[in-house]
Amino acid sequence: MTKNLNNKKSLSDEIFKKIEKGQVKMRPKFYFVLKALLAVCSVVLMIVFILFLISFISFYLRASGIWYLPSFGLRGFAIYLKLFPWLLIILSIILILILETLTRRFSFVWRRPIFYSLLTIILIAVVGGFVIEKTSFHPDLLWRVQEGRLPLMGPIYRQFNRSELRDVQRGIIEEVVEEGFKMRTFDGQLLTVILTQETRFPFEKEIESGDSVVVMGERKNDTVWAFGVRGIEDEFRKFERRHFRSPMRQNNKVK
Amino acid sequence: MRENFSQENIEENNDEKIAKSVQSGKVELFGVLIEKYEGKIKRYGRKFLADSEDINDIVQDIFLKAYENIKSFDTKRKFSTWLYRIAHNEFINALKKKKNFLPLFDLDTFLPSALWDKTLEQNTDLKETAPFIDFCLDNLAPKYREPVILHYFEDLSYQEVSDVLEVPVSTVGIRIKRAKEKMKKICEKLEYKL
Repeated sequence: MTKNLNNKKSLSDEIFKKIEKGQVKMRPKFYFVLKALLAVCSVVLMIVFILFLISFISFYLRASGIWYLPSFGLRGFAIYLKLFPWLLIILSIILILILETLTRRFSFVWRRPIFYSLLTIILIAVVGGFVIEKTSFHPDLLWRVQEGRLPLMGPIYRQFNRSELRDVQRGIIEEVVEEGFKMRTFDGQLLTVILTQETRFPFEKEIESGDSVVVMGERKNDTVWAFGVRGIEDEFRKFERRHFRSPMRQNNKVK
Repeated sequence: MRENFSQENIEENNDEKIAKSVQSGKVELFGVLIEKYEGKIKRYGRKFLADSEDINDIVQDIFLKAYENIKSFDTKRKFSTWLYRIAHNEFINALKKKKNFLPLFDLDTFLPSALWDKTLEQNTDLKETAPFIDFCLDNLAPKYREPVILHYFEDLSYQEVSDVLEVPVSTVGIRIKRAKEKMKKICEKLEYKL
């Protein structure tokens, strides 16, 4: 802070002395244009990142089968809470708050109460996230990560390799056998699902070959002792032939 | 560097026109703006800080910042509001250094304006009581003190106060309403009646 020791000197004189000495310079218009552009870019980047995260969370929950666990009762709900991607949710909340702070510099945002701008951001994030989740964007990326073509994205898609996910399987029934059925999972593994008297079927639907199901139960090697089985609409099948055929074939070859 | 401009010439031009001339290179005209606003900004600062040496330093910094950033000023808007915005930031920074800062999050800016009745509020003019308000202001929290100062002492409209503080107009209304309620209590304690 500049110390103004000489009170007799006028403020105007002090300031012009600094200007004349070149201690203070008028910033060019270009500086402010660049600053505004940077602000807009950071907001756009933040929105893109938030949309990616929210759509990934939704994709992860559905594709892994976690989304359907509460229908298996209390035990299902407990596993649902355990497997829920809390870290990603907290990260999304932090990013939404950062975005709100970044947008506050624009007059069309700060002229309205924070409640409205926050609500708008949350709506855009949730609706946009769900719309992206319905496209082939994440199955495409997951496929590329599995092929090793996207090393940077690897850590986030490795959520699908979490060991805790062994207790939840999502796939298509290939064959109904005496003790249960054989199913092909999302990532191409062939599992034998054993049904017992305790196995729950929340929607009482008869299962048959070709059905998409979520199975919750203890897995040992390629066998799962099912605690619950639920038929689901396979919204990823449309992407499957295009994107997941190859790893499934690879797995078949190995087996 | 500085030239003398006739009083007539200056009075013909409003602040925005003078600022535009400064932007286009007539740097010497910045002195006109300094002279016009020096007193007002110092008076504004005195409501935040007691130390007059601190105030003089900060006021100098405010005008230096205004000069540095004058090309970011949109001449279609009011110069005074733009300058008060810079002053607000500088005085808030000074308050932060003195550990008397405004909170980062404020519920007044969060919720819509159901609590504020615009017509009723603006018809109730407190300008006649301004001298009394001065006595009670020091005891008011900065977030309530500032809109009162800008509106009643610096003669800024609610919209202009909103532009300086960068909060919704409804928030300005709520803060002034609450400030008056709080001041009433404070003044009564100090045996002044509003």
